[in-house]
Amino acid sequence: MNEKEKNSLSRISSSQVFLTHLCCGLALAVGFWVAHNVYSINLISDPTNTLRLIWAIECPVVILLFSCFRKKPEKCSYLKAVARGLVGLPAGALVNVLGALALGSPVGLQYFEKTIIWSLLMSLFTFVPATSVYGSSWTDWHRIFACTKPKGSLDFMLCLPAHGAVIGAWFGAWPMPLDWERPWQDWPICVSYGAMAGYGVGMVGSFGLAVMRGGQKQIKAE
Amino acid sequence: MRPLTCTKLALITLTGVIIQIIGLSLFVFGFFPIKPALSGTSGSESFRLPICNSVGNQSDTILPSDPLRSLYKELSGIPSSFDRLILMVIDGLPAEFVLGKNGKPPSKQYLEAMPYTQSLLASGLAVGYHAKAAPPTVTMPRLKAMVSGAIGGFLDVAFNFNTQAMLDDNLLGQFFRIGWEMVMLGDETWLKLFPGVFKRHDGVSSFYVKDTVQVDQNVSRHLGDELSRDDWNLMILHYLGLDHVGHISGRSSVLMAPKLKEMDEVVKLIHSSTTQSQGNARGRTLLMVVSDHGMTENGNHGGSSYEETDSLALFIGLRNHVFDYASVIQQVDIAPTLALLFGVPIPKNNVGVLITEAFDSLKEDQRLRALELNSWQLLRLLQAQLSGLPCRNFPCDAFSNHQSSDPSECNHSTANMLCCLYMEAEALYNSLKSKGGSEFASNKGYSRTAAAYYKFLKSASEWLSRRSTDKPVKLLAVGLATMFISCVILSSLLFCWVREIYLGGKQQHSNLNDSMNGWSLDETFILGVILILVTSMGSSSMVEEEHYIWYFVVSTFYLLLLRKTAQSLAPVGVQSSLGMHKGQNGKVYSRMCLIFLLLISGRILRGWHQGGVNWTSLPDISKWLELAGSHYVQLLQLISAFLVISIGVCALFSIESKGKFFQMVRLSFLMSALLVLLHIIRYQDYTFSSTNYGATLLAQIIYEILGAATIGTVLALPWLIPFSTFKICPTDNTLSPTSFFLSIQEKFPLVELRDSLYVIGWSYILCWCLLQLLLQQPINSTPILLLLVQILASLLYFASNGTHHKEWIEIAALYYLGMAGHFALGNSNTLATIDVAGAFIGISSHSTLLSGVLMFIITYASPMFILLSLVMYISMKNTAHRVIPEKADDGDLLMMMLGFPCLVPLVLNSILLTAYTVVLLLMRNHLFVWSVFSPKYLYVCATTLCTYIGVSIVAATGIYTHLVLGIRKRKQVPISNSTR
Repeated sequence: MNEKEKNSLSRISSSQVFLTHLCCGLALAVGFWVAHNVYSINLISDPTNTLRLIWAIECPVVILLFSCFRKKPEKCSYLKAVARGLVGLPAGALVNVLGALALGSPVGLQYFEKTIIWSLLMSLFTFVPATSVYGSSWTDWHRIFACTKPKGSLDFMLCLPAHGAVIGAWFGAWPMPLDWERPWQDWPICVSYGAMAGYGVGMVGSFGLAVMRGGQKQIKAE
Repeated sequence: MRPLTCTKLALITLTGVIIQIIGLSLFVFGFFPIKPALSGTSGSESFRLPICNSVGNQSDTILPSDPLRSLYKELSGIPSSFDRLILMVIDGLPAEFVLGKNGKPPSKQYLEAMPYTQSLLASGLAVGYHAKAAPPTVTMPRLKAMVSGAIGGFLDVAFNFNTQAMLDDNLLGQFFRIGWEMVMLGDETWLKLFPGVFKRHDGVSSFYVKDTVQVDQNVSRHLGDELSRDDWNLMILHYLGLDHVGHISGRSSVLMAPKLKEMDEVVKLIHSSTTQSQGNARGRTLLMVVSDHGMTENGNHGGSSYEETDSLALFIGLRNHVFDYASVIQQVDIAPTLALLFGVPIPKNNVGVLITEAFDSLKEDQRLRALELNSWQLLRLLQAQLSGLPCRNFPCDAFSNHQSSDPSECNHSTANMLCCLYMEAEALYNSLKSKGGSEFASNKGYSRTAAAYYKFLKSASEWLSRRSTDKPVKLLAVGLATMFISCVILSSLLFCWVREIYLGGKQQHSNLNDSMNGWSLDETFILGVILILVTSMGSSSMVEEEHYIWYFVVSTFYLLLLRKTAQSLAPVGVQSSLGMHKGQNGKVYSRMCLIFLLLISGRILRGWHQGGVNWTSLPDISKWLELAGSHYVQLLQLISAFLVISIGVCALFSIESKGKFFQMVRLSFLMSALLVLLHIIRYQDYTFSSTNYGATLLAQIIYEILGAATIGTVLALPWLIPFSTFKICPTDNTLSPTSFFLSIQEKFPLVELRDSLYVIGWSYILCWCLLQLLLQQPINSTPILLLLVQILASLLYFASNGTHHKEWIEIAALYYLGMAGHFALGNSNTLATIDVAGAFIGISSHSTLLSGVLMFIITYASPMFILLSLVMYISMKNTAHRVIPEKADDGDLLMMMLGFPCLVPLVLNSILLTAYTVVLLLMRNHLFVWSVFSPKYLYVCATTLCTYIGVSIVAATGIYTHLVLGIRKRKQVPISNSTR
């Protein structure tokens, strides 16, 4: 079993990590660009539609990319991994909604749509990649999310951006109660900004670690 | 390092606390000066030019009243326009109700509620102003401001409940000195402020907030008689009803329109009576309708929002030419205006500026004379407060060289500028006077001079009222340093203690769980929270919205706990392979359920009251319920009261003991619970309830039974608890090293100690809950239930095995929970949210002390609840994993038991207190220092007091129980030996 794990881990090279993260980041950027230039909306003027647009662009990219890295590819077809990701999307959204509610996101009909679309996006950042890769394997989930003890580049690739997004969203919520009277203080604008920033930092960190680990492995091999 | 002993720990803690108290009181007395005031009263010298080195000639104060009156009349040079004054104070009336907002007339309902007043305004028979009141918008400081023209120190609020005679120079004193006869009807605050001044008076207490009818009837019943008499010169009417209406149900209360109508009727009665008597010997009467402060949408006051500071000043009897709804004056402007209108010296500490329109009927030179008198008075005050006032000597010097002072000089410093402005005005006036009366006719010279005077008066008044008072820097520094020292002492003590407990054990018991050592995420977070709180205190908006921080931090902490619990949830495969306990995962699930319960109830609590300052208008559950109707609120109150009581009573009845004493404890608590329910059903009628004899009596009976039951339990239980094999306290020691535990048990009655603390803890909790159910507003009873649920869930979670948190983390988490609950009960960092109405439940005669205590109980319900629940925490906490030295004596055990629950709240509080003191010192020149930072500081001080009380209760209970059980054990041991 140990051998197998090593095999599955060693499949990921730092360039793969880089490409995956680049694609995810680019998808985000494209989302913003399209919202701004095609529909001439942005996160502040129309948060719901902008988030929906970004989500619609990011969603296929994330699911399709991460399904390539599915665990035990010989047992699990690509389509199955994609399907797992699609199932994980609402499940992760639910967890994110509950977390946000517990931390005090506003409840009300006017916020309902915003909260849903935000949580779907958060689900893409946090849960969907892991479901695509690991499915419902509790051992792996426990390792990555409960204990935060990732092993290997793949785990880092899942773990760091997800934690980055959550921590970023947490910090993003801090300006909300202040009386600066800026439009971006509304739910979920600054939280989304924070989440995306944290996601970006997480991706950079994950790539950096992948490069470092790759370098170490080469040294060891020599 | 020598290990800490019990006495040492206790002594150091006590020293720290005492040092802290000393530092705090030094700082408070330094920072909140009672009032930087000129002593003495203005006499005839106020009609003369201020001269330097003047030794106040007090000769004229000895003059009897009649010569003094004529002296003033002669000196002032202003004919008094009125002979009699009726000052009608309507407590809490916002000017918006009469004069509208933003220059627009008031809304239709208010126009219709006060038809007579509005007709007076419309026909030009009255002049109305928005009189801006200075915070704190509480009655006594505002009354003082109106009669003395001075803006008092902040601590006047604290004295609001302990009114004392006003010694500073004020209008009433001046009137008294010239022999006016005065009558006072209404709020007895006046009688306390001015004892012996009034010829006739009928005071009513302002403290029965629930009475809205009788207070005003008691004032109005004398009106007909008094108006027909001619033996008074000043009549003060102080109507409290409107303020009480606001306190009960806010601005938009159904009682508001009838109350306004009642006030309008009073105005009509007085006005028609005074106009009738215009011709006869009683002379001309000025009716002044003023309010001391406004009120918020909820009817509270104390803060500095527009709604609270927007008070009314209405001169009925003055003619106005162009009336608009938007003219704004300062509340302090009333004092100089009245003084000049009635020909008495302006009070010495006045910072107000006379109201121009009041003197429109006078000739130009008389108007300028009034301005000059006001300027002289302000100049005197400036000279006293600005020692380096450069124009100080100018009245002595021949001011022939005033031409040399070119206008550029006016911009150097405040003092220079004020001086320059004054000299300009004085020069203009003098040149005007020297040119003789002909010049007065030309309006140009007059208006230039008047404008120059106004410029000086306005800037001087603004500077004086906004001036940051000189603070005794040394006193502040000493106070702060002392507090800092005590903070360091307490924190380092805690640090040593933590190290000794957890790291000291590392060598001896390396088999303990790894997570016990080193830093974990929750510890970092708990420490980070302190950092977040300390930094957030520097921003005024964060102070206003502090509750968001607490809610956010507490729910984040519980999410972290959830994660930690999930960590111990062993994967299915691993569990079977490692052969772990089958029940292990089940326990983890139950712990997770507890955390979910905590999170859910925390979220509901958060949504209950939209607190703070900026977002109060957003919808919340309490507003929604109140909109839905009072019977829903009542129903919810009943349900939550019932649930709270059943939780408590079930817990008491589940104790498996059949002793007579236990039955008595149960019965007394059950009885008081039933009485509280009865009180809720019968008397807490939501919309309107006046003081009721039955309600008061019932509340008193409840206090007595609850007090007797709780104190009786605490005192008698350790003596009566049987030494036996049964266990009351539901801790599970299944996983603890049993041999270790037994060794302690042999030496010491640990089980009995736990059992008795468990019962005492329950009785504390139950007593506190019942008290809160009785005292809190009906809408707050559900939060009380949720708080109870949160506390019980946290205690159960922390008591369950497998959660290897350090004890100080758990207590810190509980403390944070208490602070979050404090805000969830609708409290905020402004003084306006203090629930005054509840503080008079069950008090039959007015007592400042008792109502203060009740107010404290209501406001600090949640932090105190947490501190009291620490008694139960001690009993439920499994301390067996702790490293106990081989030779553990009684003192060590006591220290193990009480060390953290007492030390952690003290340390947390001292850190926050010291940090906030630094912040307050840094912010002393901030614009919001009086409206945001100072009220917050009062809250911080009160929290400190609450912590002291709570910790001493916990410590006293623990020590007492321990001592009693120790004595009993010692007596028992020989007996058991002999029977063997």
